[in-house]
Amino acid sequence: VIWFRPTQLRVRLTLWYMSVLAGLLILAGGGTFAVLFWQLRSQLDHFAIQEIETLEGLLYFTPQGGLQMHEDYHNHPESKDVIDRFVEVLSPEGSILYRNERLGDRILGAAPFVSEGVGGYSVRSERLADGTRVRVVSRLHSLEGRPILIRLGHTEEPLWSRLDEMLLGSIFVLPVVLALAGFAGYGLVRRALGPIEQMARRAKEITPQRLHDRLPNDDTDDELGQLARVFNETLARLEQAFEQLRRFTSDASHELRTPLAAIRSVGEVGLQKDGTRSEYRDIIGSMLEEVNRLTSLVDNLLTISRADAGSLQLELVQIPVMQLAREAAALFEVLVEEKALTLVLSGDGSATIRGDRLFLRQAFMNVLHNAVKYSPVGGTIQVRVQRSGDEVAVEIEDNGPGVPPEDRTKIFDRFYRVDKARWRESGGAGLGLAITKWVVEAHRGEISLEGGSRQGCLFRVKLPAGE
Amino acid sequence: VHILVVEDELKMAKALQEGLEADEYAVSVAHTGEEGFYLAQSGPFDMMILDVMLPGRDGFEILAALRQRGMTTPVLLLTSRDTLEDRVHGLDLGADDYLVKPFAFPELLARLRALLRRGKADAAQPLRVADLEVNVALRAVTRGGELLELTAREFDLLHYLVVNHGRVVSREMLAREIWKEVARQTPLDNVIDTQMVRLRRKIDGQFEKKLLQTVRGVGFILREEQS
Repeated sequence: VIWFRPTQLRVRLTLWYMSVLAGLLILAGGGTFAVLFWQLRSQLDHFAIQEIETLEGLLYFTPQGGLQMHEDYHNHPESKDVIDRFVEVLSPEGSILYRNERLGDRILGAAPFVSEGVGGYSVRSERLADGTRVRVVSRLHSLEGRPILIRLGHTEEPLWSRLDEMLLGSIFVLPVVLALAGFAGYGLVRRALGPIEQMARRAKEITPQRLHDRLPNDDTDDELGQLARVFNETLARLEQAFEQLRRFTSDASHELRTPLAAIRSVGEVGLQKDGTRSEYRDIIGSMLEEVNRLTSLVDNLLTISRADAGSLQLELVQIPVMQLAREAAALFEVLVEEKALTLVLSGDGSATIRGDRLFLRQAFMNVLHNAVKYSPVGGTIQVRVQRSGDEVAVEIEDNGPGVPPEDRTKIFDRFYRVDKARWRESGGAGLGLAITKWVVEAHRGEISLEGGSRQGCLFRVKLPAGE
Repeated sequence: VHILVVEDELKMAKALQEGLEADEYAVSVAHTGEEGFYLAQSGPFDMMILDVMLPGRDGFEILAALRQRGMTTPVLLLTSRDTLEDRVHGLDLGADDYLVKPFAFPELLARLRALLRRGKADAAQPLRVADLEVNVALRAVTRGGELLELTAREFDLLHYLVVNHGRVVSREMLAREIWKEVARQTPLDNVIDTQMVRLRRKIDGQFEKKLLQTVRGVGFILREEQS
């Protein structure tokens, strides 16, 4: 899917990356500012507490009973303007005793709340009537024997305006940062996806005719290298399958051609001269023989093509192996007698396998037919059934001419014949053993050809045992 | 006996017609599904041979339509597709038999006879050809009064040939009827041929008049007169 819309994936990845980055930046910025704000404010509180202590010493009652503050400690009169604190002193009942110049007649917090400033410092945020945000610290103090509540306020506005500035700054900076990151991210994604695009382009060029092409980048150890390797392995298997198919088709055509050629020649030659009735019968009969050959060839080809397509259904039942072997052997009884062969069945009579009776029977018959066909007159064919563990092995051994070791695996190939010349007289089409192999493997078994103990062939069929 | 053949391929239709007529059936041929459908409804037939692969309405459709209208004539389907599903489908639709192309003509004749016979008791077959006599109850065979010793399989084989005497039997028919082998690919031709040689040796060997003959490319025939 990836390679059909590469830009989309790139854009998607970049967008995703950018939104994650934006989220992280906002989180980090907000967090940083919150910590900073909290620290500055606690600094403010700290100084306010120190200042309250100083204030306590500066307050005094005038003889008239009013409360005043010494302000004559300033060496420079202009220093008074620098001070930006708000001071309010109340009686515990809430009547205002003193407000400093800077506060004027604004209220620094409402009536005292219960235990305000008792036994420590009450710290809180308030808002003046004009909207100024202030940090207020209260302390209940005893001045000349009279309890007074001192409230000291500092404006928080600079802090808040710092926050606003920062926010404003972020609004301008964040998009720029994001855009830069987006560019970088896009470039990175492009670089990362580049090989995929390259692979996609190459993959597109691979057709059934050009299956030998392979994807690039399969020599790296990263994920893309792995992808390319997996893809290339699949291609290799495909190529092999295609090659097999190609060979099969061409072999099949050749095989079909042989009887067709015979039919044609026999027919044409037959028509060239006037013959007797019985000569014509002979000619037609000969043509029909070839037709029969064609028919069985086509039947076999159909079976194989169905097997290849996986459309052959196995009907699984429990089958006593010995019985199956005996049935197959019984069919060839007359041939065995005619050639004076000795057919010996031996081994485990109780072994069973789970399989399709019809297909397995055909498989055994093919192998056995082979043995009967190639056995010399008076020869011996041995069929041994053995069960070992969860496997049943059937060995079919003859003492015919055998098959040279180098041909033993090829004998299961389609259309393969050890002796091309001998084939036509014995009537096989070179598909019997291929079908047998398919049947055995469809039953999750295996078949092999080994050299017999004497000369001959030893076919060994291993099948999973039934219950 | 009147047979309707529905087959679009002209050569095949002609061969079927001639072959069936040679076996003394009356034959009507339709070359399209529609024509076949029309003919099947217009006249009483004893049997219908229906090709599955027809242009337009295929054999399955026609069969279904005919069965729906209550036609009970036995139908034998001909097809070149022999998957199990096809077979089951055809029989489900009401076909009575099913023959895969290419088939041996004697096989078709045998199937037709079986279908026509169906439901009726087998007429007692005179199990005698020339001076060859088969006694089924005793499983004994004599020729010219002389007892022949046959194996069980040879007896079955001869019995089948005698029942079908005067008609060609194909190797396929023998494989199915005598060896009970259903798969077409089974390598039995050698076995059948060898068995025939032995049977022939026994029933014809010492007699001047040969009864069992090979019809090259088709099969075997048991009959009295030489051709």
